[in-house]
Amino acid sequence: MLASYLTMAAILFCIGLYGALVKRNAVIVLLSIELMLNAVNLNLVAFSKYGALPSLNGQIFALFTIAVAAAEAAVGVAVLIALFRARGTIKTDEFDELRR
Amino acid sequence: MAYSESAWLIPLFPLAAFLLLTAWGRAFRSGAPIVGAAGSLGSFVLSILVMAEGVDYRDRVDWIKIDGLSLSLGYEVTHLTSLMLVVVSLVSLLVCVYSAGYMKNDERITVFYGYVSLFVFSMLGLVLSDNMLMLYLFWELVGVCSFLLVGFWYHKPEAKAAAKKAFIVTRIGDAGLLLAVLLLFWYMPNHALDFAGIQNVFHGQSGAVDAGITTLIALLVFMGAVGKSGQFPLHVWLPDAMEGPTPISALIHAATMVAAGVFLIARTFVLFEASPAAMDTVAYVGAFTALFAATIALAQHDIKRILAYSTISQLGYMMLALGVGSMTGAIFHLMTHAFFKALLFLAAGSIIHAVHKQDIRELGGLGGRMRVTAVLFGVGALALSGIPPFSGFWSKDAILTAALDRNPVLFVAGLLGALLTALYMARLYFRVFAGKPSAAAESAREAPKAMLVPMLVLAVLAAGAGFADTPWNEWLSRWLLGDESASHAGGSPTVMIVSAAVSLLGLYIGWLAYVKKTVRPSSLKETMPGVSKLLERGYKIDDLFAAVIVKPYRLLGTGARLFDRYVVDGLVRATAGATAGLGRMTASLQNGQVQTYGIAAVLGLVVIIVVMAGRRFWS
Amino acid sequence: MFDIEFNGEFAAFFVFAVLMIAGAVLMVSFTKVVHMVLSMAAVFLGVAGMFVLLEAEFLAFVQVLIYAGAVSILMIFGIMMTHHGDATSETIKPLKETLAAVGAIALFGLLFYAIRDAEFEGMDGGAPTQNADNTQAIGELLFHNYVLPFELVSVLLTVAFIGAIALAKKEA
Repeated sequence: MLASYLTMAAILFCIGLYGALVKRNAVIVLLSIELMLNAVNLNLVAFSKYGALPSLNGQIFALFTIAVAAAEAAVGVAVLIALFRARGTIKTDEFDELRR
Repeated sequence: MAYSESAWLIPLFPLAAFLLLTAWGRAFRSGAPIVGAAGSLGSFVLSILVMAEGVDYRDRVDWIKIDGLSLSLGYEVTHLTSLMLVVVSLVSLLVCVYSAGYMKNDERITVFYGYVSLFVFSMLGLVLSDNMLMLYLFWELVGVCSFLLVGFWYHKPEAKAAAKKAFIVTRIGDAGLLLAVLLLFWYMPNHALDFAGIQNVFHGQSGAVDAGITTLIALLVFMGAVGKSGQFPLHVWLPDAMEGPTPISALIHAATMVAAGVFLIARTFVLFEASPAAMDTVAYVGAFTALFAATIALAQHDIKRILAYSTISQLGYMMLALGVGSMTGAIFHLMTHAFFKALLFLAAGSIIHAVHKQDIRELGGLGGRMRVTAVLFGVGALALSGIPPFSGFWSKDAILTAALDRNPVLFVAGLLGALLTALYMARLYFRVFAGKPSAAAESAREAPKAMLVPMLVLAVLAAGAGFADTPWNEWLSRWLLGDESASHAGGSPTVMIVSAAVSLLGLYIGWLAYVKKTVRPSSLKETMPGVSKLLERGYKIDDLFAAVIVKPYRLLGTGARLFDRYVVDGLVRATAGATAGLGRMTASLQNGQVQTYGIAAVLGLVVIIVVMAGRRFWS
Repeated sequence: MFDIEFNGEFAAFFVFAVLMIAGAVLMVSFTKVVHMVLSMAAVFLGVAGMFVLLEAEFLAFVQVLIYAGAVSILMIFGIMMTHHGDATSETIKPLKETLAAVGAIALFGLLFYAIRDAEFEGMDGGAPTQNADNTQAIGELLFHNYVLPFELVSVLLTVAFIGAIALAKKEA
């Protein structure tokens, strides 16, 4: 049963990775990152129940992850809003100041 | 013994003159003729002393010594070489004096004398060489000097083209000579290349070297001579070489360089004696060239070109003499030809210097205003036509006698050539000096003393040098061969009378045609226009070469150029383009977008994991 | 590896799994941004369901509250405030998408292989807590063992929201 949960988390993680690398709207990129973090949480909680030594540590860890993810999402959106105000666009491929 | 030992100094006088003139540069205009003439004078004096001494001497110094191989540079004084030294240095001395007048107003006169001195040095070195390699070295150097001097007035495109043509055509012959040297090197015991060694090995057909190889070597040597002496088919450069200054034509293309071919064969005569096939080739090529060039000379209009074709024809006579076994006859004719041909060229130069015209159709009646030139030219013409008692008669007689002994066909060819020679010389003389004074004759005046004195000296020699070897007193033949065996005892009066008669007949026909105008040459031209056109263009040999050789080579060159541009260069450019393209491609990776970098990171991560985890399976 | 018994737990797992995967796939394939956020919400709910299956009820509750509630709304706010109006044109860049897909699939392959290869002996799942009340257990753990991280996280959250306000406010 553990393997199923882990596989599930892996699927979510990879879909989130794909979304983070491909999407042109920066907000959607942030959303994909949230998806990846969710996959990680799933992993942690699965191990908390099915691991070698079942305990609540996994769930506590997941709790903290959720908190940090929320903070990060907030700051990220704030940055995007500031960027939008400065640039007028949030398309990721238009932020290429570091071009060669 | 003393003078022969210092014979190595003889080429060094003109070399010193060359170095001096080159170092002093163009500013030294007034002194240039003096330096040039001094060089030749020094050589001439020492050559006379060496010849008077009459002792054979040889010395050499080792040049390259590698394991089992030794090349040397040396000089050899024999009667043959000392005679040639005298002839060469005398003619160059006279030409140097003459040029002081002829080239007086040329601003590159210093360069001119420098080149002339270099040439004299090369020619004297060639004559003195004691081995084939050194001879080849000087042979090439002589060719270079000819190139420099023919193209002296390099502002004229014709002169440039003529210089290139002279060098390239003689180069073809030189390739043959080089092959001969290499073959000799291969087959001679100890890889010796000196003439004494060649004499020893090939003398009397001792069989040390295979007969086929001997013939091959002899033919290759002859090929070298064909190039330098302007025999058919490598004769095409000589008429064009008349673009150079007239003193040069006299020095190089009459008396000395073109005689180098004859001298070469005389030096290696033992090879030809050992190979009858080669001798016959030499004889027939010589006879053919003599006739061939004489017919062309009949239809030429430029004084110098007539004389050039005459030179080719006379060299053919010398080759004919060598081919029938008379080395002495050839050298005798070489000597007399040097004198009278140089005289003719210098006289022609005096005409050109006075009226600045060279086409005989524009000249006429110059005899009135230029008496001395006319007389001297006449002496040269008579000598060339073989009228007794001038020198040309005696030397031509020696050749014809030897030819009759060997092969009557060649004798008849020689007679026919003599007729044509007299005819074209008469045509030339009467057209230029006799008749009504033309427009050019108005401005004609006699040449300055600097030009007349050398001509006078040459005229005396042209008249009198023949007595060195008459059939009753074969002093020269005996002296050259070094023994008392005379090539033809007594000599037959028939040959003398017949050859004299033929020459006089030629002169008479010429007189009829161009003075009395009984026989009209223009009517001849009308009846046979094709033939006269052909003769005028030298049987279109130049066009033949252009179509058969030059055009394919040009195509080859164009093909090579295109190959170089599109294939070789294309390859290089393609490589460069590929590298640049690769660079551009990888540069597009740096587009400043984070997601691109993220993709790169993920792919890199995958690769690393595969490599690290996969090590289990590969080891 | 995949030795599974077909019981109720598995059926529930299957349902939630379908929900999550469908939501995730739809998220990356929708064109309109708001649709994407909605499918993400579905994913979050599916994850919450999974948490319940894993006897992490408190976490499931927090998940719904925070993710399906706050984060989704936050994203919608973000979208609304950075909206162009005509910015719906998505030019396709096949190379980038292909490479990203290749990378993601390769990574998934590696992970799947690792999971398959691992030996999960004796991991049949015991109860994570002796206490049946998950929330109480978490609370006790949080304030006894993990009180320091708890405080730090609260500082982090404070800093984060101050920073967000500072970043996003209009220049006066």
